[in-house]
Amino acid sequence: MAEFDCEETKRHVHEYLHNELSEQELTDITAHLANCDSCEGDYDVENTINNAVSRACADVPPQELTDAIMGRIRDIQNGVSH
Amino acid sequence: MSPFVASRLPSGNPFARSSRSGAGLNSKQMKSADEQAKQTQIAEFEQQALPLMPQLYGAALRWTRNPSDAEDLVQEAFAKAFVAWAQYQQGTNLKAWLYRIMTNTHINMYNKRAKDQAKGGLDELEDWQLGSAESVTSLSSRSAELEAIDNLPSDTIKNALHEIPEEFRMVVYYAVVDGLPYAEIAEIMGTPVGTVMSRLHRGKKLLKKLLSEYAQQEGYDVSETEEKQGSGA
Repeated sequence: MAEFDCEETKRHVHEYLHNELSEQELTDITAHLANCDSCEGDYDVENTINNAVSRACADVPPQELTDAIMGRIRDIQNGVSH
Repeated sequence: MSPFVASRLPSGNPFARSSRSGAGLNSKQMKSADEQAKQTQIAEFEQQALPLMPQLYGAALRWTRNPSDAEDLVQEAFAKAFVAWAQYQQGTNLKAWLYRIMTNTHINMYNKRAKDQAKGGLDELEDWQLGSAESVTSLSSRSAELEAIDNLPSDTIKNALHEIPEEFRMVVYYAVVDGLPYAEIAEIMGTPVGTVMSRLHRGKKLLKKLLSEYAQQEGYDVSETEEKQGSGA
């Protein structure tokens, strides 16, 4: 396990969860997490929140919106004279 | 005559317009070529841009916080994108291009409000001013809290998301729900990557605080909530 202490590990939680770490950082943090309940718990919390947000934001647009957009686009196209 | 050349000719060309015999055919051809070019552009837009609409709608809902404004924003963004379609470079990131247009559209449509919020100096807030959620719970009750957050209704989670400042909310949305890389979020929001990182960090911190509070209200403290099903165990 390299230089990653708890503070540094906790600071990198989002970069870890969003795949923004270098290979080396990823290795170091994974090693730290395996041996640290406190940091692992923090990562769990962030991950749980991410999952909750993703679940809550699964909105589907109304069917009419597609038609409205295409109607608007045809209007624009017809309004333009060449 | 190729359709490409035909569509470039001005339609007011007196030769094309006035000639009766031979050129009459040309005029018809030109007209149909022009029509064809228009149809091609619409078809191209419909095939490439329109499938991304549900994703834009999801982001628009987070910008506007209500479905009817979100529909307006998406429609406006697509209209602008279609007008600018010639400037889109095939093969480059279309989703990021559309998101960028929607960001700008939103800022224009809600100019004043967006400006007010931007001037708040949110990015300059110190961490302590955002409050601490870190040590709200002890390690032993953490799994109960996690379960409570897991069980929070979608509307509650959306409310929490909608309570945090716009710039933070959108970065959280793009990173968490859309899974966009930081560099792409930076491009869409028109900020440096460092700003994306700090907004994500701060946005998540605010969100965690709100969700923990909601979870507590829902009663994840198992000792008093035996009658409530689904929350805590």
